Amino acid sequence: MAELTKKSIGGLLARQGILVAFVLFMIGFAIANERFLAVDNVFGVIRSSAILGVMALGVTFVVIGGNLDLSVGSMMSFSTIVVLDLHDKIGPTMAIPAMFAMTLCLGAFIGFLVGYLKLNSLIVTLGMLSAIHGLTLTYSGGKNMDIADKEGTWFSVFGQGSVAGIPVPIVMFVVLAIILSIILTRTPFGRKVYAVGGNGTAATFSGIPRARVVFMTYMISAFCVATAGLIQASRSLGSQNTVGQGMELEVLAAVILGGASLLGGSGTVFKTVIGVLILGFIQNGLLLVGLEFYVQYVVTWVIIILAVWLDIAAKRGRLLSPIA
Amino acid sequence: MKSVTKAALVCTTAMIGSAAAAETYTIGITQNNVGVDSYQTTYEKAFIAAAEANADVEVVVLDAGGDVARQIAQMEDLIQQEVDAIIIWPTNGEAVIPAVRKAHQADIPVVVTNSNIAEAGFDFVASFSGPDNITQGIRSAEIMCDKFKEMGIENEAKVVHITGQPGYTTAIERAKGFNDRLPEVCPNVEQIDQQPGDWNREKSQQVMEAFLVKYDDIDGVYAGDDNMGVGALNAAKAAGREGIIFVGATNFAVGYEAMAAGEYWGSIYQSPVDDAEAALKTAIDLLNGEELPFLNYFDTPKITQDNMDEFTKPVF
Repeated sequence: MAELTKKSIGGLLARQGILVAFVLFMIGFAIANERFLAVDNVFGVIRSSAILGVMALGVTFVVIGGNLDLSVGSMMSFSTIVVLDLHDKIGPTMAIPAMFAMTLCLGAFIGFLVGYLKLNSLIVTLGMLSAIHGLTLTYSGGKNMDIADKEGTWFSVFGQGSVAGIPVPIVMFVVLAIILSIILTRTPFGRKVYAVGGNGTAATFSGIPRARVVFMTYMISAFCVATAGLIQASRSLGSQNTVGQGMELEVLAAVILGGASLLGGSGTVFKTVIGVLILGFIQNGLLLVGLEFYVQYVVTWVIIILAVWLDIAAKRGRLLSPIA
Repeated sequence: MKSVTKAALVCTTAMIGSAAAAETYTIGITQNNVGVDSYQTTYEKAFIAAAEANADVEVVVLDAGGDVARQIAQMEDLIQQEVDAIIIWPTNGEAVIPAVRKAHQADIPVVVTNSNIAEAGFDFVASFSGPDNITQGIRSAEIMCDKFKEMGIENEAKVVHITGQPGYTTAIERAKGFNDRLPEVCPNVEQIDQQPGDWNREKSQQVMEAFLVKYDDIDGVYAGDDNMGVGALNAAKAAGREGIIFVGATNFAVGYEAMAAGEYWGSIYQSPVDDAEAALKTAIDLLNGEELPFLNYFDTPKITQDNMDEFTKPVF
């Protein structure tokens, strides 16, 4: 019996090493500052993380499918600027679907280049990173975008509203995570994503239309980016052109921290969520502890490495694993 | 591409112009990155308008698009064209120094506009025209302190400070001006925390959210620009914390609107039009042989809810 318990704890550690690491950090920060686990702080952090989180959900699909998406940051700037601009021109009811359509077009374009022209996703999305940035600047004429009537618009509900006491961005993040998790684990399409990323040749021989699956992963990513842009725009009702700049790397960090392999074929939505929360709570925890910000960059790195190491060590069942 | 065509056009006009009237000065300008933000876009328009209004000046307007290499090439082009003076808005304070030296050696006076180059290049610069960021920080501290005195809390008020991106001269100078001046005018006001908001509204909002959790008592927020100040204001509004005095710098349209709504106390008014006109005037004055201080600042006045009627709403 004792044997069984030990085994099951070991098994849990091996499967959920990143979760264990996350809990350890939470305890550490909670000891350092008692306000860390206050309800309003926890809600605050998850709400701020929701934007990054929603983007990371989509990128999880792309990464599991064996590709990368470095364009999500500038695509999010694009969505935010477009929806803010259209809000005053055609009203929020029309602006939101229009923005989603435009963002999905960008996703379709990337999906076409990577899926059907078989171009390297790193190159394609790195190029799109600056191309979409240029598009955003051209669209906005270099100006910041602001909604004129900030008090009188219902558009603020996505970023600032709450449902039963829970901020709407958190609700959207959770609902989207659940839907995407079901798609990934409970549908034929989800299994095809794993198959394409895990072993493309085998997937082809199994009759899986690889190009279409890859195309769809980029469409999902673009949909998530559009949702993130919507939350971002609604949260501040105004934005700089560069609002998403650099977020592509944070998103990738969260996805990889969650344990998705950059080589494709592995990762889950749940673990990506944990990765997102780790990044969010580290940033918040360091602010609350009051470390000087130059130190924060270093500490952030240390914590990420520790988390990844704990995760890997739990999987291998030992702390040291030299290359041999 | 558009600005290149425009530049070529202006350049042709300039040559025809100088053939017609020998008294005319030709002044070249290479800007940092027009079109990336409204400040720079407005600056360029104002610069061209000011030059057109002055019959004695022809200008060659170039834009480096944020690219150091392109800016250096543009400097060389301007030297080749033998313009009378060059105005540069540096893309990088260090990397452009050799190009500035080259112009200096060719006896073309160089005016640096908006953000100065690194000190190693000062010998080759005729004059710097731009805002004085240390004074801006000082003035923000004074605005904050005056408001505390008016409220009668100058002996117990607590302030948090959100700075611009670490490493940026503007961020460092404004923070220094504020941090040095606040204890002088309000010795009992305590600055309880300082963190960077990276010139980013969203980042600043997150930093402020953490401050609000960490400190029950915050009376004032100083942000390195209004964009970050409004981010902090959004955080305070979302948390339902009222009565906090927000002071920023570089008055943005959003900051101006928040002031009009009575939510944001004050800022520093820095007009891209003044910036552009000051740069052109500095160059003309130099060519007319006038003595100018090396650091030729244009005025960036205090703006608060009390005197905002005297200022037009910023376009950016």
